[in-house]
Amino acid sequence: MKMIELAFRNFKSNLKSYFSLIISLAFTIIVFFNFQNMLYSDTFKMLGEKNIGRIHTVVAVVSFVLVCFMFFFIWYSSNVFLNRRKKEIGIYIFMGFPNEKVGRLYMIETVLTGAAALGLGILTGVLTTHLFQMITLALSDIAVDIDFQLALRPVLNTVGVYLVIYLIFTLKGYLNITRSSVLGMLTGAKQNEYVRQNILVLLFKAMLGLGVLGTGFYLAVREGEGGAESQFGIVAAAIFVTAGVYMVFGGAIPFTFQEIARNKRFLYVKRRCLWINNVIFRMKKNYRTYAMVCVLSLCSVTALVAGFAMRERYDNIMKFNSTYTIQVISDRENLDADLKELIKQYTEIDYCSQIPITGLEGSVVKASENVSKYALVAYSDLKNLAADIGKEFPLKEPGEGQVVRVTHMYLLSLMTDREHRKVGIGGRDYEQIEETDISYLGYLQDQVSFYMVNDQEFAGLRTLGQKLHCYSYHIEDARAYQNVKEALYPYMEKIETGGDYIGVVSLDPESNQIYWVKVIFSLCIFVFLVFILAGGSIMFMKLYNDSFEEKERYDIMKKMGVDEETLGKSIADELGAAYGIPFAVMSIASCFSVHTLGMMMNTHLTTIHALSVLTVLAVFLVCYLLSVSVYRKNVGV
Amino acid sequence: MNDKNVVLVRNLIKDYGAKNFKTRALKGIDLAVYPNDFIAIMGPSGSGKTTLLNILSTIDKPTLGEVVLDGRDITKVSNKELSKIRRDKIGFIFQDYNLLDTMTLLDNIALPLALNGVSGKECIQRAETVSALFGLGEHLNKYPYQLSGGQKQRGAACRALITGPEILFADEPTGALDSRAGRDLLECLKNINEKKHTAILMVTHDPFCASYAKDVYILSDGLIKCKLSAGESRKEFYDRIIDVQTSMGGDFS
Ligand SMILES: Nc1ncnc2c1ncn2[C@@H]1O[C@H](COP(=O)(O)OP(=O)(O)O)[C@@H](O)[C@H]1O
Ligand SMILES: [Mg+2]
Repeated sequence: MKMIELAFRNFKSNLKSYFSLIISLAFTIIVFFNFQNMLYSDTFKMLGEKNIGRIHTVVAVVSFVLVCFMFFFIWYSSNVFLNRRKKEIGIYIFMGFPNEKVGRLYMIETVLTGAAALGLGILTGVLTTHLFQMITLALSDIAVDIDFQLALRPVLNTVGVYLVIYLIFTLKGYLNITRSSVLGMLTGAKQNEYVRQNILVLLFKAMLGLGVLGTGFYLAVREGEGGAESQFGIVAAAIFVTAGVYMVFGGAIPFTFQEIARNKRFLYVKRRCLWINNVIFRMKKNYRTYAMVCVLSLCSVTALVAGFAMRERYDNIMKFNSTYTIQVISDRENLDADLKELIKQYTEIDYCSQIPITGLEGSVVKASENVSKYALVAYSDLKNLAADIGKEFPLKEPGEGQVVRVTHMYLLSLMTDREHRKVGIGGRDYEQIEETDISYLGYLQDQVSFYMVNDQEFAGLRTLGQKLHCYSYHIEDARAYQNVKEALYPYMEKIETGGDYIGVVSLDPESNQIYWVKVIFSLCIFVFLVFILAGGSIMFMKLYNDSFEEKERYDIMKKMGVDEETLGKSIADELGAAYGIPFAVMSIASCFSVHTLGMMMNTHLTTIHALSVLTVLAVFLVCYLLSVSVYRKNVGV
Repeated sequence: MNDKNVVLVRNLIKDYGAKNFKTRALKGIDLAVYPNDFIAIMGPSGSGKTTLLNILSTIDKPTLGEVVLDGRDITKVSNKELSKIRRDKIGFIFQDYNLLDTMTLLDNIALPLALNGVSGKECIQRAETVSALFGLGEHLNKYPYQLSGGQKQRGAACRALITGPEILFADEPTGALDSRAGRDLLECLKNINEKKHTAILMVTHDPFCASYAKDVYILSDGLIKCKLSAGESRKEFYDRIIDVQTSMGGDFS
């Protein structure tokens, strides 16, 4: 029989084990393709250049992460597949087929499988793009019509990336087969070289790992200095935490378990002796997998929390900016009555405020933030304004040489230290004693950097810049906005005299300026889902693979007379540890990453953090229950 | 012989295969094992030794006949009770040791006790006592891969005996051992049989191995052909076994 015919026959007779490989390969293709499609399609054209640019940056980063994900996932599934087929392949070699020939047979089979997965993945991917984009937009709460369209680039990219990765592992399998012996194949290559690790080496590894992880945590929660240094700090924290997690699984955790196993009085309680020894054995072989699952779930929790935090932040920024609908800045002090009259032609006024400010050019002020316009306000003026519009005013009166920064909300800020900074105003150094992001001046506060000084300082600094007056109004009927705005401009032109400074800021309630945040929110949810599903299924595949190796051990125990119930419970305990330990490490580590996010966005994320950890728990629980039942079936318990 | 028997087998028949292709591996075995017994079952290859042992040790089920273990007919008890009998009343030694390679020798030996819910302290104590009887005191913290075949098999015997079973089943226990290690093991088993009165039922094809037993049953073609009992010396017993073996047509292997 020709090679290709034999391959086809195998393919048909092993459809079930091929099927699971094809499905998992197709899954990675679908995910990757959809993200690629988003990068090259016009879905977000409606949202404007600025939004698209930012979304694309994020999608590109996610795509990179997905390539890594694809790599590991294909690695794992082809490994599982190879192990499953090894026995059969071994029989061929036993029957006298030369290794190279069997290797080629395997190659043909895997290429067929890969092609089938590629076809299925791309097809399903294409069919799901529409759905995927609709869900993304729906989650983002954006109403745009999307046309169904298909660009060639995403297809080519996906096929390219997939083929490269897949070929690497097909080749790896081929080499694996051509180099292995018949015996190893027939017994599924299980030679157990388990050596209890040297306790001193392990202790050293444990200390090192905890040290690295601790450094990572410290970097994550440390009060940042601001700017690039902090950006570097975050990357360093991520690297340290990831490395630390790997080392903890390679050191501290096996160390703990080995110590437990040395305490025989503790060990010899029911089935503990069985599963703890198994965990030690498995930990040595599998710690990389456990660590990877841990890191994946950590990423997914962090992504979800980040998404929610951004979303919340976005809502707050919108609220912040729409404190007023119309704001007028002028050097005249008596425009309020006129303005009110003008607005009232169209709609009622909810609330309004006015305040004298001193506008400063960027050159007069030396501060760490990068804006071109600064302004000063007086303590009592701002306090009065707060009372007028019914906002809380928790700020202390600054002393001589002190300022309070009245800033806007940041979506994300790497500056986490908000006090004791120096601000130079007109050549003199002021100490920033406090910072607030309560919206007293709405959109203006978003555009201009305000500093509050006490009344005497304010009077003293009045000559440093332009004496201005700010009138702010919130209108009752948002639909009247356009009319008011159009009426306002001729009026302002009329009163403008000889180069006086004047300006109108207004906030269009329909603005789509930061829509990209909403899109990122839904991308975060997808990343969360992809990562957590990947983590769960990698763990599942690993345990599935292990179960075949374990069959012999369970046969021995059954022959010894250990009843199936005990064995079943021992399996449940062991797999519980396999899922539980990465979960526990992830839960602890995520506290730090979420803390960092909280600092960067200046919010509390406890609830969403708890929710996402619980979601991970639920996913793991499902995978765990599936694993236990499949494991029991495979070892015959 | 007035003692209560540990195992009683009446007219045991075992068939293998589907309806039309039945092979009768055991064709009607009657056997009684009493405490203190040390029985070796010999016979040519394919005579049904392993089949008999597997049925007696509850790993397999008979087609017909009665197997009474600890006063109960194992063909009629539930699976749960069966594993309880297996756990408390029976010990096994296999040809290929079957120690768990993931744990130390001490853990291997203590495992059955720990699973039975015996306290950690007692597990350790009893494991140490029994392993001392088998000369394994210094090797307790080693893993199976660090032990010789003889040490592994003695370890397996310790594991089988730690629960204090009434009967120990052994299928070719010396099959994978060199003669020195085999002799060590058999001496230990003999010792246990004499001191602890544990009944031993051993399958072997090796006349030397069988000569350690008190009684030797010769199995052939699914039936017990004859029974030999030990005399004044082991050498003499060994010669008699060889004689019977020769008269039945050569080597049992
Ligand atoms: N699982 C089985 N299925 C079918 N026939 C079997 C099976 N096990 C043993 N036999 C047959 O039963 C007979 C006795 O085998 P066995 O008890 O293994 O002999 P021994 O251990 O004395 O060499 C042999 O003819 C063997 O072919
Ligand atoms: Mg046999």
